[in-house]
Amino acid sequence: MTSSPRAERKPDVPAQIFEKFLEDLEEVSVPVELVARLRKALIEEKSFTERALKMAIFSEEPLP
Amino acid sequence: MIRVDSITIKQFRGIRDLTLDFKGKNFAICGSNGTGKSGVVDALEFALTGNVSRLSGEGRGDISLKQHGPHVDKRNDPDKARVTVKVAIPSQSKTITIERTLKSPASVHVTPHDQAALEVLRQLETHPEIVLSRRELIRYVLATPGKRAEEVQALLHLDQVEKVRACLQKIANTCEKQSTPLVAAATHARDNLLRALEISELITEKVISAANIQRAILGLPILVGMTETTSLKDGMATPGPSKPQRIPKAQALTDIQAAHDAVTEIVSSPIGARVAEVMADLTALADDPIVAASMKRETFYATGMDFMEASACPFCDTFWDLGELKKHVQAKIDHLEEVSRKRKAAETKMAPLVTALRKVKTSTDMLVRYGMLATPPVDMQTARDYSAICEAAVERLTTFLPVVETITVLRNIPTVPRPVFDAIGALEKAVAVLPEPTKQDAAREWLTVAQERLEVWREAMRKQKAAKAQAQQARKVFEIYTATSDSVLEGIYSDVEKDFAALYRCVNRNDEGRFEARLLPSMGKLGFDVDFYGRGFFPPGAYHSEGHQDAMGVCLYLALMNYLHGTQFTFAVLDDVLMSVDAGHRREVCALLKKEFPNTQFIMTTHDPVWLRHMRTEGLIGGRSAVHFRSWSVDEGPIRWDERDVWTEIDDDLKKNDVRAAAALLRHYLEYASTELCHRLRAPVEFRGDAQYQLGELLPSAAMHMRKLYARAKEAANSWNQREVIDQIAARESAFDILAKTTNAEQWQVNVAVHFNSWDNLCKEDFEPVVKAFRNFLDGFTCSDCNEYLRVSPDRETPESVRCECGRTSINLRKKGI
Repeated sequence: MTSSPRAERKPDVPAQIFEKFLEDLEEVSVPVELVARLRKALIEEKSFTERALKMAIFSEEPLP
Repeated sequence: MIRVDSITIKQFRGIRDLTLDFKGKNFAICGSNGTGKSGVVDALEFALTGNVSRLSGEGRGDISLKQHGPHVDKRNDPDKARVTVKVAIPSQSKTITIERTLKSPASVHVTPHDQAALEVLRQLETHPEIVLSRRELIRYVLATPGKRAEEVQALLHLDQVEKVRACLQKIANTCEKQSTPLVAAATHARDNLLRALEISELITEKVISAANIQRAILGLPILVGMTETTSLKDGMATPGPSKPQRIPKAQALTDIQAAHDAVTEIVSSPIGARVAEVMADLTALADDPIVAASMKRETFYATGMDFMEASACPFCDTFWDLGELKKHVQAKIDHLEEVSRKRKAAETKMAPLVTALRKVKTSTDMLVRYGMLATPPVDMQTARDYSAICEAAVERLTTFLPVVETITVLRNIPTVPRPVFDAIGALEKAVAVLPEPTKQDAAREWLTVAQERLEVWREAMRKQKAAKAQAQQARKVFEIYTATSDSVLEGIYSDVEKDFAALYRCVNRNDEGRFEARLLPSMGKLGFDVDFYGRGFFPPGAYHSEGHQDAMGVCLYLALMNYLHGTQFTFAVLDDVLMSVDAGHRREVCALLKKEFPNTQFIMTTHDPVWLRHMRTEGLIGGRSAVHFRSWSVDEGPIRWDERDVWTEIDDDLKKNDVRAAAALLRHYLEYASTELCHRLRAPVEFRGDAQYQLGELLPSAAMHMRKLYARAKEAANSWNQREVIDQIAARESAFDILAKTTNAEQWQVNVAVHFNSWDNLCKEDFEPVVKAFRNFLDGFTCSDCNEYLRVSPDRETPESVRCECGRTSINLRKKGI
């Protein structure tokens, strides 16, 4: 054997990173609702705009 | 994912009508430059992804798929340009047909049309990296770290990851920026409260103590503690509506002094020096037209990125490929990184000026209120106007752009109009002459003002706390995201790095058996250093040869694909990617692909027939898994070395009495065939350093060697006492002799007709027997079942047998006991 064994992979590196990010986020003291909203934006809706992420973090627009 | 069984190409690029039967196996396409190999590669990419990267992307100028994809004669009829591929999907145990036309590249016709098959196709469309050309390969190896990172990120689809990182960073930065004025407001509220309380520190005991002194004067119960709702004037009678509001003399004088101090600070030397410094920096920025314009563009691009959600440009509504459009705009934003850095430095220097201006505004606003309460009122219009100027200046400095307007505002900051000082002085005089209040009135005023300011401070602190919590939350999310993505990417790069080094060692085990490599991700860049014979780590282009760099490119590509697709890496097109690799190392690449990627179907192109033979002899491709293009014409497209086509073409030439064309083609084909025969039979040919062998050197050698092989086979059969086999071989030998002698009898004619170009002395009737003789002669080297030339096995060391591809012909060459 010369190289690494071939693994079963889904060719979606961003999804791997987003999932790990959400896992790590669950382990620190952030509201569970925030993690759920981010999961919806990043994994389900694949919405990567600033506005979508801002709404996911704060559930509403941050204070002016 | 998939394996491609066959492809049919019609009126596409330089191809008129071509079908290749890959049978889901490795396949090679060989031909000189300009014979149509890349047309097949483009057609494969088009069928599977709807795009041809060679006709799109950076540096393509005014070339487009739709306009230049069809055959030049069908450029106005893109519907005729179509590619059909039959594709096996092993994971679904099914075969589908995919068809696209250039009339509508994005539309695809899939049969059978089911969701599972469409999902596979959707995945294919997002993975154009299944086609690798040498041009792309070099981008992985010789690119700058920034460019390489872009390429690898594109391959791994990291643009989404980077987009999220940039957004989260912007959100965190914006939240922190938004909390700055709230912090300033809370600081001012605190200063006002401290002045009202006449204490220097905001400590509960001191606040209660100061309030209780005043409460004692009014006979109110003392406060024993404070909560968020405690009122300092709790229990104090509310003044009746008829009683006019008075100026709290002592507090007013303190506030007047604070306003005076704030305004005086504005005209002080430190502020003047800071203004001069910032103006110099901004003037330098404004004088550079590129920088000045870039700052505007940065904001413009960033705004545009936020609105990019559909496949249309948010500014001009032109339809783009969304990914390409985002990449295009992001590249512009990245290019403005230096401009962002300069802007941030200037904003940091301006921060104390913003604080001083805010202090002036809040303190003069308070004086305006005192002026209205005075009897008669004191005209504080100049102070009011100056407060508005300070507010506008704060707005301008924080907005920053346009820089020229910011410079104008900065220039005016150290100048406070004299009437402002006059108004403050007039108010001070008006307040100073007010009668001293009674002790009780003073206590009432003290508690009233203190409570008002306590409430203002509490509200300011609440807002500041909320903004701080939001900023902290946004920052935490960003930091966790950065740490997670870095960690995952480091893991990916580490895996790829190890795999790449192992693959490269496999190809270069003879001279670089200890080869190592380092992929170094850092701040959006991807460094790539490789070991050079134990002398240290250097960029691949520093010391390694071009051939080694090509091999590195292939190995890095394979390692990335291995990571990305794992067991699903079932298909790849390698378009002339090893042109600089020498013969020995190509053999190793063949072995590598065969051994390490047994489940991947490689479609490979090469202009080098030797490389094609390596692929065959190393078993990377089967005997029939190749096509050799001999020429190309705009009318016909690629013309392959196909026995049937060649003899038909010669017959057609002779029917037209074009002996010259028939003779030229015969000679050309015999050169190709005899080279192939000498290689397959391991026939000895006098070595030539320039590899320019003549037909007269090759064909006789192949014929003589075939006879020797038959003789050797009879000896072997005799040693095994196989009389029947000896008879069979003798019969073959005899038939071969007759065929060879026929061509020998005609040899002079061939030479005259073909080699010496005396074709004009031959008529059709003279040349037809020549053609027939050589056609029959070549059949003597061919298996009648599989129609493939015989070959000696193995291709090195002691010959053991003469075989064909289908296995029907197998003649033993080994004697008993040897």
